Parts: sequence; structure tokens; C-alpha cells
Amino acid sequence: MAEHATHDQHAEAHEAHGTRFYWMVGAILAIITTIEVAIFLVKDTIGHELFLAILFILSIAKGAGVVMFFMHLRGDARIFQLVFIVPLTFAVTMCLGFLTIFSNYGGIAG
Amino acid sequence: MSATSHAHHDEAGQAPLVGSLGVDSRKLGLWAFIGSETLFFTALITTHLIFYARTKAELTASGMLAHLDPKHFLGINLTSVLAAILLASSLTMVLALAASKAKEWQKFRFWLLATIILGSSFVLGQAYEFSHLYAEGLKLAPQFVYEGETVKSLFGVTFFTMTGFHGLHVTLGVIWLIAVYFKVRKFPASPENPMDVELVGLYWHFVDLVWVGIFTLIYLI
Repeated sequence: MAEHATHDQHAEAHEAHGTRFYWMVGAILAIITTIEVAIFLVKDTIGHELFLAILFILSIAKGAGVVMFFMHLRGDARIFQLVFIVPLTFAVTMCLGFLTIFSNYGGIAG
Repeated sequence: MSATSHAHHDEAGQAPLVGSLGVDSRKLGLWAFIGSETLFFTALITTHLIFYARTKAELTASGMLAHLDPKHFLGINLTSVLAAILLASSLTMVLALAASKAKEWQKFRFWLLATIILGSSFVLGQAYEFSHLYAEGLKLAPQFVYEGETVKSLFGVTFFTMTGFHGLHVTLGVIWLIAVYFKVRKFPASPENPMDVELVGLYWHFVDLVWVGIFTLIYLI
């Protein structure tokens, strides 16, 4: 157990970033948000499926950026990753399952 | 704090409450809370998506208000600004955390104050959006009014419940931030300060993360 703790502390120290790094992550997240809004404004010209695909990819990238770098989950103790990622997996599965069940009404892509 | 507990402080001067898993118990508890909140907000978002699609399909099938998409209520101009505000607050929060770990308390106070101001701006912006939507006819009721006609739908209920709960979380986050700000100002030498800041930071980033989901799934799609 002590070895685990030492490993986690090393991992955390390894992932410690300077303020310049945080500014860079913040700038990238701001750019992603701007692209999301821009794509929303031209969604009629690019088609619904492509619009959804781009938007999902950008949102997942943005969410992952917040979790990994701002919440420092990347490189943090495995137990923190576990207690977050397991419920997140359940949540995404539940969401997709219910949207499929109710897809008679159009679902998310309707 | 006793002399014994002082002896357990790490090199950074923190007083970690390390449990049998080898991690700080408070941080583990907060991550578990965030995990449960993830399920909570996903349930709210899923419910809203289902009732949005149902409302839209029923309106189209009935021929009544054939061109009405209930999302016409939700403009993205203000929401984009709110998304930018919350994103900026996440950046100021992580900068406050970095300053607290470096024991640069002046910088810490500046960035935490910036986070508080940005968070409060978000709450005010959301209150403005809610009042605007109410005036337009979208209400926390199983119906909404469009061009003088009443449409039966749970769209308003699920929308206000979901975004209202998020707004409540932001408000509680602002209160927590203010509490940490004054606690650190009153007890600048407390070894627990960096962990206090880290905990409120985790919660704050989670609130931002939820908005990333709501902004995309509810407003953009």
C-alpha cells in the first residue's frame, strides 16, 4: 500500500504543471468552444450527421481537457480515476440506452 | 491541532488525512461525490433529450405548429457567453490552485477572487436567461405558450429542472469559493489551505464539465 502511495505521489508530482501550461490548455479549450459555436452557425451547410460528429468529438475533447489537466485526473491516484470513470461509464451507457429505447420519437438525432 | 498531527504534515506543509487506500480521504470523498453527481446530471440531461424529441415529433405529427422546434426558445448568444465565462473561471481556478501550492498567497487571492466574480456572473446571466424564457412563454409547467397557443409538453419542466440544478450547483460553488477565500485570508499559515483549495477546485471544474455537456447536448444539437 505504501508503495502505491509513493507511486501516486510520484505520478502527481510528474503531472504538476506550470501556469503557462494552464494558460495554454485554457486557450485550446476556448478555441474549441469557438469552433463549436461556429459550426453551429453553419450547420445547415455541412449536414446533420457531420455536424453531430464534429460536435461530439469537440465536446469530448473539451471535457477530457478539463478532467485531465484542470482536475488533474491524468496521473493522479488510480482510485480517483476509478470512482469517476466507473460512474461516468454507467451514465453514458444509461443515456445511450434510454435514447435508443425512446428512438421512436426521434432520439438525439431527431 | 496537536503536536502529533503536526508531525504527520508532508513536505509541502499539508495535513493529509491519508486513509488505508493511501490517498487523502477528503479528496476521495469528493471524487466519489463527483461520480454520483455525474449520474445525477446524466439522468436529467437524458430525460430532457427524450422529452425534447417527443415534443418535436408530436408537434410535427399533429400538424399543429408544424414548424415549431421548441428549441427556438433557447438562443445560443447568451449561452455561448456563459460557456466562455465558466470556462474562464475554470482557468482562474486552476491558477489559484497553482498559486496556493506555490504559497503565493497574493496571486492566489487574485485568481480566486476572479473565479468568484466569473462564477457570480454566470449565475446572474442564467437568472437573466430564465426570466427572458419565462417572459417568452417557456415555464416550469407541463405546457408552454407559442404565438398565443398553448402546447402541452414537458420540455419546459425538464429544461428548467436540469439547468436550474446546474445553476444551484454553481451558486453553492460560489459560496464555497467565498468561504475558502476568507478562510485562507484569516488563516494564511494553515497547512490545510492547499487541500481546501484543491477540493473546491475539483468541485468547480466538475460544474464546468457539466456545462460542457449541457451546452453541447441541449443548446447546440
